[in-house]
Amino acid sequence: MPENQYLLDVRGLKVHFPIEKGLVFKRNAGWVRAVDGVDFSIRKGEALGLVGESGCGKSTTAMAVAQLQTATAGQVFLEGRDLAKLSAKGLRAARKDFQLVFQDPYSSLDPRQKAQDIIAEPLRIFAKNGLITMDDTAIQREALSLMDRCGLSASFAGRYPHEFSGGQRQRIGIARALALGPKLIIADEPVSALDVSIQSQILNLLKDLQKDFDLTFLFIAHDLAVIEYFCTKIAVMYLGRIVEITDSATMAKNPLHPYTKALLSAVPLPDPRKERGRRRIILKGDVPSPSIEYRGCPFRERCPEAMDRCSLSPPSLMATEEGHQVSCFLYGGA
Amino acid sequence: MSEESILRVEGLVTQFSTDRGLVKAVDGISFNLRRGETLGIVGESGSGKSVTNLSILRLVQSPPGNIAAGQVIFQGRDLLQASEEEVRLLRGKNISMIFQDPLTSLNPVLKVSMQIAEAIQLHHGQGRKAARAKAVEMMKLIGIPDAERRADDYPHQFSGGMRQRIMIAMALSCNPDILIADEPTTALDVTIQAQILELIKNLSAKDKTAVILITHDLGVVAGMCDTVCVMYAGRIVERASVDELFYDPKHPYTRGLLDSIPSVDLSGPDRLYSIPGAPPNLIDMPDACPFAPRCSKVMEVCARSMPPETLLDAETSRSVRCWLHTKENRNA
Repeated sequence: MPENQYLLDVRGLKVHFPIEKGLVFKRNAGWVRAVDGVDFSIRKGEALGLVGESGCGKSTTAMAVAQLQTATAGQVFLEGRDLAKLSAKGLRAARKDFQLVFQDPYSSLDPRQKAQDIIAEPLRIFAKNGLITMDDTAIQREALSLMDRCGLSASFAGRYPHEFSGGQRQRIGIARALALGPKLIIADEPVSALDVSIQSQILNLLKDLQKDFDLTFLFIAHDLAVIEYFCTKIAVMYLGRIVEITDSATMAKNPLHPYTKALLSAVPLPDPRKERGRRRIILKGDVPSPSIEYRGCPFRERCPEAMDRCSLSPPSLMATEEGHQVSCFLYGGA
Repeated sequence: MSEESILRVEGLVTQFSTDRGLVKAVDGISFNLRRGETLGIVGESGSGKSVTNLSILRLVQSPPGNIAAGQVIFQGRDLLQASEEEVRLLRGKNISMIFQDPLTSLNPVLKVSMQIAEAIQLHHGQGRKAARAKAVEMMKLIGIPDAERRADDYPHQFSGGMRQRIMIAMALSCNPDILIADEPTTALDVTIQAQILELIKNLSAKDKTAVILITHDLGVVAGMCDTVCVMYAGRIVERASVDELFYDPKHPYTRGLLDSIPSVDLSGPDRLYSIPGAPPNLIDMPDACPFAPRCSKVMEVCARSMPPETLLDAETSRSVRCWLHTKENRNA
């Protein structure tokens, strides 16, 4: 498979945070391994969902991909360019190609800017730095057309963020992310803060935009149902690692990793008859701390199918069939 | 369906006076709770689900809040007319509550065993030692490992799921008749949510505790509830058994909600339905159906007046508040 097919290629990504102790003389008391060796790639036009529970490292992964968090190790290639190797100027220019949508539309918009200015800001910054040539009238017009495309009436252009509802604010955030014509959208829990009826509006909007603008998505969410609806491919994370990665349909019908199985069985189904007939895998205990270094599989203490060898060395992500990788000794691996 | 009713809410109105006008957060709510039943109250943010339940225990802060009308009948008494002292004796003993965020609902500077024991000491007049022993027993019951040792830990030493277990231990320590759970698992991860829901289910089945479960998650409703009330803009728009609600929803809002949630088993449609617009502002609401501007089946009458609550089945008390289902329209 030629490499240039991938829009985004992430290899061996690690983000470790130091734990500092002491008030005056700080010393390092260990590491929080938030992201601990993550590999994945996304083809153009695909939507990859990163799913996992709080603290599993999915947002840190997104921030490291977006170069908003320095990686401890590993590379992030966007169309073959290693983003970490770019100069500050080069990175700024490259940001045109990847943009973010955040979870909380309340805190990710400047309360003192009007909607139109929020959306125009990326264009203004790029114009000022000579990275695009657009005069202010053209920028204003573009911002209005983006608002329209994201389902916001042009009459809202002069309003401030607090005058919008949560769903509308998220539309502003999306319009802003689209302003520079990015290829990749990194969306970190874009619908988690929204009510059910608004959530589906935003998901459908994102789906339409994906088609119209030929977008590729790295989509982060804790809600498996949302991920399965939106994404073509899903990666399940646990304690900083990907434990299983495959396409959405396979993930729904044939999950392999015991953690994926438990996660899927824990998601409540909006169907009382199915719920009554369901056998849930209830995992014991909580997610352990990412500051402990594990010799074996990090999931083994909660795993209903743990074996002796699981405590000896960690399993690595291996393909069980075309397009389905799992990190578990039940499916072979050394 | 013959189980006795233990709580009856009748025409409850709770309003808040704000600078911008009067907000009727709860606007004429009635429902019945039977012994051992799990009643779900679903709705989006601001629909009045939490205020309904705070009103039952008279926990609405006043001012700005004010319970303007209605009755809450428990054990033959109207709690809204009872003295503050009488209600205080019921709280935690007969009716107890668990909240969404266990960290802010627990006292950070008290050992958890003392917090669990407080209700036992207060309501059963037990001594410190006996109450602590009962607290440890409760902690074992709700599945806190190493309960004897952990009883002397403080809330911050527990994980989110464990804190919610402690809240449940507190709430159930006096064997209440009614447990009100306000979004008990919203702040938790899905595998922990499954643990907590399982726990509430088992414990309530054991003691025939009635549960009022407030949630926005229709999946949780499907798995937990016997009966469901759907709230919109301060009113119950549909009341039905859980099966009726999911397989034969009557109100266009219920239908819309069900069609807009993705399902993890990919049984849903390729494209989700979405209800246009956003929930209304509750300040100075006009006398019209509040859902009319977003409704796919809106008629002329909907903008003119509020539809009455129509009883569809007297025995199951299934009802809907929509002009499509009023007697005149059904017969027409």
